[in-house]
Amino acid sequence: MVGQRSVREILLAAAPIAIAVFVFGVSFGVLAVAAHLPAWSVVLMSVLVFAGSAQFAAIGVIAAGGSVLTAIFAGGLLNLRFVATGIAVTQSLPGGRLLRSLLAQLSIDESYALSARAGSPGRPDGKTLLVTGALLYVVWVIGTSLGALLGPVLGDPKRLGLDAAFPAGFVALLWPMLSGRHAVRCAVGGVAASLLLAPFTPPGIPLAGAAVVGLWLAR
Amino acid sequence: MAGPLALALVLGLASLSFLMRATGSLLPNLPSAITERTSGLAPALLAALVAIQLTGSNGLLHLDVKVPAVIVAAVLAALRAPFIVCVIAGAIVAAGLRAVFHL
Repeated sequence: MVGQRSVREILLAAAPIAIAVFVFGVSFGVLAVAAHLPAWSVVLMSVLVFAGSAQFAAIGVIAAGGSVLTAIFAGGLLNLRFVATGIAVTQSLPGGRLLRSLLAQLSIDESYALSARAGSPGRPDGKTLLVTGALLYVVWVIGTSLGALLGPVLGDPKRLGLDAAFPAGFVALLWPMLSGRHAVRCAVGGVAASLLLAPFTPPGIPLAGAAVVGLWLAR
Repeated sequence: MAGPLALALVLGLASLSFLMRATGSLLPNLPSAITERTSGLAPALLAALVAIQLTGSNGLLHLDVKVPAVIVAAVLAALRAPFIVCVIAGAIVAAGLRAVFHL
């Protein structure tokens, strides 16, 4: 696109997305506290993980009675796509390997998308990534903290339908990803694998099966 | 959830996430055949998470208020409604059906 944009211009362009991330953060905080995570750990998770869908998946596993290992596994695998975006963004970041691997932590779906639009998917604009990523990081942590404070005020999670909020949220996260034929195939395969395995295997295995099918059907 | 367990969850997820984002900078020459395949993980896992949330403790599909909640959320997502609208609508459908039918 057009040359170097100022920090102000980048922030203004990211503002609508920052609002969406803030609201996502609040809802994540509310649901995580409703899943009986201590409020401090919910905020710490947002500070250290900074990946909405992975955090949401991990909490969803816990809320459904899954183990900590299954939750880490589900969230961690969802973040594997950051290996691919990490390879793209590292070319646009300043400094040596260590600094770049630290700065690459600011890449989430939204900051990557905006920086790819300002540059190209294979060579995203580094300044856009850093400015947008930093803005979204702050907004995400503040939103989560607010949600974690609000959560206990709301009352019985099940009466409020909060257990249904997780599958509803997963569908909402999934839908925009279903743009390509491969993605649809992977989603259908993931459902089939998990439902086939669920009656016979301990929790965690159905998700692992879905992951293997996803990798297999991706090309 | 007990504090140490919650801390284990946070630190485990945080270290995996850190490593995955750092891989590109630390090992820039990963074969593209590997990285291209990672794009299939997110849709497969999210779809599987939806399916798993709809199964009961016996691992079989369990028809309850979550099913209409997911359908409503999916329709809203298809209409490009924001994330929070889908989540709240799903919760309202489930809570409403429970209240009306005393489920």
